[in-house]
Amino acid sequence: MAVANPLNTPIPSEPNFKPRSLRAHRLLLLPVSLAVMLLVWQSAIWINGFPAFILPPPARVWQRMIIALSDGTLLRHTAITLSESLGGLAVGLAVAAALGYLLARSRTVERLLAPYIVASQSVPVVAIAPLLIIWFGSGLTSKVLICALIVFFPVLINVIVGVRSVEPDLRDLMRTLRANRWQLFFHLELPAAMPMLLGGLKIGATLSVIGAVVGEFVGPNNGLGSLITAARNQFDTALVFVAVIALIAIAMGMYGTVALLEKILLAWKD
Amino acid sequence: MRKLLTLIFTAALAVACAGSPTPAPTAAPLTHVKLAMGYIPDIQFAPFYVAEAKGYFAEQGIEIEFVTMFENDAVPLVGANELQFANVSAEQIIQARAQGLPVVYVMKWWEQYPVAIASKAELGIKTPADLAGRKVGLPGLYGASYIGWQALLNAEGLPDDAAQLESIGFTQAEAISAGTVDAAVVYANNEPVKLAAAGEQLNVIVVADYAQLASNGLVTNEQTIKFHPELVKGMITAALKGLADTIANPDEAVQLSLKHIDPAPDAAIARKVLDASIEMWKTDSPGVSDKARWEVTHAVLLDMGLITSPIDLEQAFTNEFVKP
Repeated sequence: MAVANPLNTPIPSEPNFKPRSLRAHRLLLLPVSLAVMLLVWQSAIWINGFPAFILPPPARVWQRMIIALSDGTLLRHTAITLSESLGGLAVGLAVAAALGYLLARSRTVERLLAPYIVASQSVPVVAIAPLLIIWFGSGLTSKVLICALIVFFPVLINVIVGVRSVEPDLRDLMRTLRANRWQLFFHLELPAAMPMLLGGLKIGATLSVIGAVVGEFVGPNNGLGSLITAARNQFDTALVFVAVIALIAIAMGMYGTVALLEKILLAWKD
Repeated sequence: MRKLLTLIFTAALAVACAGSPTPAPTAAPLTHVKLAMGYIPDIQFAPFYVAEAKGYFAEQGIEIEFVTMFENDAVPLVGANELQFANVSAEQIIQARAQGLPVVYVMKWWEQYPVAIASKAELGIKTPADLAGRKVGLPGLYGASYIGWQALLNAEGLPDDAAQLESIGFTQAEAISAGTVDAAVVYANNEPVKLAAAGEQLNVIVVADYAQLASNGLVTNEQTIKFHPELVKGMITAALKGLADTIANPDEAVQLSLKHIDPAPDAAIARKVLDASIEMWKTDSPGVSDKARWEVTHAVLLDMGLITSPIDLEQAFTNEFVKP
């Protein structure tokens, strides 16, 4: 809330100075925390005397990353995992959004399907992943399906909560204005559900990467999961770390993209 | 007061007994040893189960504990001396040494490399040449299956792209049955036996018939060899006695092994798997590694790029503890 300046005097410069200083401090937070993490990592090696095959030092991981980047290994596998994650996220989002809307709008459909949907969540994806590989082959389809299965539930729940969060009064108002079903959906339900939908999408974006890796562990053709498997098999622990860092980068990138999307799509709220 | 006197008397008696110069004789304490075995308890580990059940480890002063994990998890633990022993395949040791892990293969267990290519009999895949242009499933482009496959291609002079490889994880039996692949890289003593028991007619190409690779055996680390050679010798002595007994009496071996396997497998199928395994264990030189096989394995790994430079094989394995 804005505070009036009763004396109509110039606002002292301190408040202007403070935010700039805070901004500078905040900009420093990430590099400082990163440096602390690297120091803790290196110290663990110095103190415990871990050999490189148990815990490789940061410098060794960096060197291995340069090699994996220069020979194309890292980019090739990263691109595959990224495409599986995005594909799974898209499929999971589409199915969860459609089904979530139906469940939110119809108690009958909810009573019919909810027990099965909840029960399906108690099945570990890693247990059914080999079956998906058998049924759909070890290519992109099975990996996308595994990602979609993991993404599905959090997005579904958020869509249901979002659609149900619409104020009944607003719905009544739209009806009195003779809004048809599509107008109700596009002008009321969709904007109202959007914050929750995007919240679910943020969770789904990170889970989708996990789904891709689960699929690649079970049917390791390509991708960062198979790179980890191969590197572990060759006792190249530094390469395992490189692949894990790439996975973190993908997850952070996808999360950041959704956060940006959220900022753009929900700008009207501010 | 009476209670106090009783307490003082009891305490005095306890102190007197503690200071007694003639303690009861006790047996030498056993050395607790954890032995890592691949993935899950299985009838294929029968020689070790038999050695435990018959007290062969205890005879050597060893209290054995079996732990199961993936081979590629066990090897770094042995390298770091967190574990002292593991059953591991030879190619893992070469790759581990290439990365600086101080692991040493001290006892050959499997005489033959157990990897094979299985396919439905109706497809007529009887020789490696018949695999040309076929879709072949394997767990992934790593591990014993991939190395066995490549060794087979090398031995027969077939190009790397002779067949279309597909990574199918550990679903080989299902993939062969469902026909999603023409053939799959399997363990000769496992999937073909179970598929045959389920009524499938199969052709099996055993890699060992074409290429002689070093196979599974007992592994320890340089530290244990240096500071506890008697422990290494004891483990090998017990394991080889268990192996000999298993080969001599498979029925007894199945009975002694079943208590280690949960859930208990079908005893008839377990016996068939054991029989197939025994055929691959039989040897004239129990425990003794053949340098020529290690050299072939080393060459295959170099050729595949799984190691980038040669290693000193003399440090990767030793026959020091299995000399007659």
